[in-house]
Amino acid sequence: MKKLLSSVAVLATFAGPAAAQDDPLKIGAALYGLQAEFMQIWAEAAEQHPAVQSGMVDLTIFDGRYDALVQQEQFETMATQGFDAAIFAPIDVEAGAEAVRIAHEAGIPVIGSNTQVNSELLTSYVGSDDTRSGYMEAQMVLEAIGCEDGGNVVIIEGPIGQSAQVQRLEGNQRALAECPNVKVLEQQTANWSRAEAQTLMENWLTAHPGEIDGVIGQNDEMALGAIEAIKAAGLNVEDFAIAGIDGVTDALTAVKAGEMQSILQDARAQAQGAIDVAIAAATDGDYEPQSDIWTQYPEMSWEGGEASYYDVPWTPVTADNVDDLLATRQ
Amino acid sequence: MTDRTDPARTDPQPSPAAAHGPTSARARAVERLQRYGIFLALVVVCLALTALNEFFLTPRNIVNVLRQTSINGILAIGLTFVILARGIDLSVGSVVALAGVIAASLATTSSGAAVAGGPYPVAVALAAGIAVGAACGAASGAVVARFNVPAFVATLGMLSAARGLTLLYSEGRPVPALTDEFRWIGTGDLFGVPMPVVLFIAVFLASWWVLGQTRFGRHVYAAGGNPHAATVSGINVRRIRFAVFVISGALAGLAGMILAARTGSALPQAGVAYELDAIAAVVIGGTSLAGGVGRVTGTVIGALLIGVVNNGLDLMGVESYYQLVIKGLLIVAAVMLDQTRNQRD
Repeated sequence: MKKLLSSVAVLATFAGPAAAQDDPLKIGAALYGLQAEFMQIWAEAAEQHPAVQSGMVDLTIFDGRYDALVQQEQFETMATQGFDAAIFAPIDVEAGAEAVRIAHEAGIPVIGSNTQVNSELLTSYVGSDDTRSGYMEAQMVLEAIGCEDGGNVVIIEGPIGQSAQVQRLEGNQRALAECPNVKVLEQQTANWSRAEAQTLMENWLTAHPGEIDGVIGQNDEMALGAIEAIKAAGLNVEDFAIAGIDGVTDALTAVKAGEMQSILQDARAQAQGAIDVAIAAATDGDYEPQSDIWTQYPEMSWEGGEASYYDVPWTPVTADNVDDLLATRQ
Repeated sequence: MTDRTDPARTDPQPSPAAAHGPTSARARAVERLQRYGIFLALVVVCLALTALNEFFLTPRNIVNVLRQTSINGILAIGLTFVILARGIDLSVGSVVALAGVIAASLATTSSGAAVAGGPYPVAVALAAGIAVGAACGAASGAVVARFNVPAFVATLGMLSAARGLTLLYSEGRPVPALTDEFRWIGTGDLFGVPMPVVLFIAVFLASWWVLGQTRFGRHVYAAGGNPHAATVSGINVRRIRFAVFVISGALAGLAGMILAARTGSALPQAGVAYELDAIAAVVIGGTSLAGGVGRVTGTVIGALLIGVVNNGLDLMGVESYYQLVIKGLLIVAAVMLDQTRNQRD
């Protein structure tokens, strides 16, 4: 219950045991919202960072409640309270810029994580390239139905205009352009929602009986909704090539069952990487990163914590790694 | 407004024209239009969609529409009780999520999310979900009936509190791996009719009977039409007000479990803004937000109209944003019709 309360609270402090340091670093993580699984995993991984556990860092998680203004006010709070560094996963790519400006004026370095913000003042960004995942998932579907043979796919999009939707679509389209024989029958938003995607897919299955070969879901939830629609229509899920993005727990289970493909967005690497970069930005001396993610992804080099962009790799979920991944979710 | 001042009248669905004594043919025609206008609209839309899309009027699509409408329909029927009694329930979307995660945690094989000792028999999970919904409704109802807090405020509080409890209970994560028995209420069928539709029809018939044929139903109309007169004539208005929220909550609990069973997991962020579609269905169906006037049949047709429009536009590949615009126009048009009727009274 204690863990549960602290992870949901608007403002929860995870102070370690009586710190060895006299003065722990105050780092705030302003996340766009804690109502979905991905950010929950992010927040829990941040809490598990060695520097937070040892009491070197006093980490505060702010729940942005999916509201750009709420996030801005949380940055005002951090500025008033003299935080040493801030980690920022904004709800909106443009509206987040003002929050970054507030922190910058207060001399607080801001490290972006997970979602992009359009600001020159950002110290660094630790996240994954959504264009890349969009390309990868479309390729998975195209490969399964046969790029040369051709076929028909549908795309279920995130909320139109959100950076993840825009970039994943860009990636989807780049992969589709390589397979001119594959036709996009329908393309519509289901707002990241499983229930909405289910309705959409049911209606598409009716409108295009026997024609849909593949489903490109821009996240796992929507791909899972499509699977439920296919089942409800009495069709065989194995006759469809379905892919999603994120690697949420239900999707891992579906991958294991052979129903879909997914690409893991590594929330743990994003969270712990961002904390290491934030510590480096908040301290002058040579800080050596403490999280094991830097050895896990050697291709993402540390560079003294001074790089402006850390590209956390995407990991395709396969039969080989799905059990290990599921084990981390218990 | 004579129909609202006579709580003792036995006609549960008072018609304004009838209350004015002898009626002319024209008044009767107008009344009939108001009474059946929404049904006509549904027929017209269905005919139009049949002409525009070859797949609309196929058995499979009709089943789809009914299944897609069932959750909103059940919520809207619950809201019909509340609105008839001159209340409003804004909390149903959050109650959907809360009942969903609690019931699911009793019916999951997932070691991480299950309540100790689970999975429990499906009957236990179902009873728990309905009880959770009813308890939320009882809390709102008690605040409204006992402390005279406006229903808008009481249920706005519940909207927030139930969502918070959902997130606390589930730790913000979906409850996956539901048992096949539990999933049956969302994905199974009875003689070929999908279970969500079976439940929707059952709830409709029960509500239609309660509102139209029972003393309690007459009292709901009376308490909403004119609470003062109802009190004077010996009706326990507080008790009625309390009871309608319990009904709405219990039905929201049922809807939440159907949703979880359909999607395969109970999602803590499920049901956001569902109250708006449910209220839209009630209003389009001709139930007056002023209370005392309306019928559950209208609500069901209102819900079907929303479902048919969404389905038809999807079939034709129309962007979903138009669906929102059209739903908005439907709501306003329905209330405008209601207003002209009131002015004539």
